[in-house]
Amino acid sequence: MSIYLPIAELSVNIFLLLSLGGIVGFLSGMFGLGGGFLMTPLLIFIGIPTNVAVATSANQIVASSISGTLGHWRQGLVDLKMGGVLLVGAFFGSILGVWIFSRLVAIGQIDTVISILYFALLTGIGLSMLIESSKVIRDRIRRKSVKRKIHYHNWAHRLPFKVRFYKSKLYISVIPPIIIGFVIGVLSATMGIGGAFILIPAMIYFLGMPTSKVIGTSLFQIIFITALVTILHATTTFAVDAVLAFFLILSSVIGAQVGVLAANKLRGEEIRALLAIIVLGVATKIALDLLVEPNEIFNLSVIRLVF
Amino acid sequence: MIRQLIILFYILIGALTPSISVALVIGSDQEEIYIDANFSGEELLVFGAFYSDPSQSRDSKSDILIEVVGPPEDVALRKKDSYFGFWLNSKSVTFRDVPGFYYLSSTSELSDEFLANNQIGLLEKKKSEMIDWSLLTTDWGSIINEKEKEEFYSALIRTKQEDSLYRKVFDEIEIIDGNLFRSYIDIPNTVPVGEYTVNLHLIIDNEISQEYSYNFIVTRVGIEEAIYSFSKNYPFFYGLISLIIAIIIGWSGAEIFKRFKRI
Repeated sequence: MSIYLPIAELSVNIFLLLSLGGIVGFLSGMFGLGGGFLMTPLLIFIGIPTNVAVATSANQIVASSISGTLGHWRQGLVDLKMGGVLLVGAFFGSILGVWIFSRLVAIGQIDTVISILYFALLTGIGLSMLIESSKVIRDRIRRKSVKRKIHYHNWAHRLPFKVRFYKSKLYISVIPPIIIGFVIGVLSATMGIGGAFILIPAMIYFLGMPTSKVIGTSLFQIIFITALVTILHATTTFAVDAVLAFFLILSSVIGAQVGVLAANKLRGEEIRALLAIIVLGVATKIALDLLVEPNEIFNLSVIRLVF
Repeated sequence: MIRQLIILFYILIGALTPSISVALVIGSDQEEIYIDANFSGEELLVFGAFYSDPSQSRDSKSDILIEVVGPPEDVALRKKDSYFGFWLNSKSVTFRDVPGFYYLSSTSELSDEFLANNQIGLLEKKKSEMIDWSLLTTDWGSIINEKEKEEFYSALIRTKQEDSLYRKVFDEIEIIDGNLFRSYIDIPNTVPVGEYTVNLHLIIDNEISQEYSYNFIVTRVGIEEAIYSFSKNYPFFYGLISLIIAIIIGWSGAEIFKRFKRI
């Protein structure tokens, strides 16, 4: 059974969409990730145009990050003030990102740029997960416990405009969080990701936020970035496909809940290593598409006139 | 059924009226193709009858030719080149008023010469009008040699063919009882919306003896149309509604699961 997507202007198998959403949702629930970094390339692989894949992913992440934030919110693990400061940067970043995106669409380089960005992102994510999980597995075999530093003091603490963040027990300048938010905003708008994978380490290592507050706060502000990105794409690139988003959201929300359940029952490191390999596989496929001489070196796109 | 009777009637008239030596009569299955939520392509049925005068030489060869031309669109064709090992889009050409769909079918393979003489076919007819080389968007200077223009032109046809939007076939018309013909034409799910023209030709001894044309429309209907036009006319509210749907499903998903977990 297939369904016609009104904005992508093609029909796809409905079960393919539901299982794609379900799998990405499952992985995101299991590992506490947004899943946008897998959703966008997988949508492109099944033939959805790049611009629709990016814009619709952003819409889908709104739903999954709301689901995720609620749990953290109830436990009081969201630093609203820090989230707000990050959002100031993200607001301007996503406006710049959507502008860059529509320029790239106009000059016909969007596919290439998205491929290169995704290759870099997925390789980074995959390798770091693989290294981390194999270290944990190795330490477990040697019966060692992993020690982690809780607080970092670095250059971020020496900048002006210092503000007290009570919830995170921090007294730091607002400049680093604004810059981090800005970068995440640009990436979110151009790649259709929430950016948690970059945001979380940045908040821990650059801002020195306590790990317990990081996930809730990053999810909280991802809701707003991706909401803004959705509106910006809907009004400038016209690439948000509501029908596609509906099926992805439905299946990913269910998949995410199942993923959370599974995470409590299964041992994390092995699966984390497996996910790392999947992520690296996707990155390899993207790289091959860029490096191997294509069968058809010409590609055609219909120039739509927007009335 | 009524159409079939009408066709039969015309065949009889053709046979009985001495002034009409050949006749081509068309019955078409549909005037509109609707793109709705379940649309996954469609088969367009073109059928009709032809009659040729039995007093003519028995050796005379008759052929049916069906041409379907989709609505015009502007397309950008980009060529990839290798830069430091990476295959990136480089040169780009804009083609104006290219048919969004083109289908040419005949009962036997017709010579290029015949098609050219009768101005039938994409290559033969549209070539000069279709390509506006002045609309080149990049690298205007480096692309002007004729060989490269030819390369872009054939790539345009080829990429459209790969998407099943351009087709040229010789074995899809069924002839029944020597006078009736029927053809199912594949309309893929990627077809553009708009007005399509079906041109039919009855060819006797390499001469077009009868012609007939009619139009049909490919249009979005129902929720597909509603969503599409809403997204174009009220993009802000469209984005907002997409968001609200995401918020409702995201929130309720978490709430439902929370209750589920308590039990």
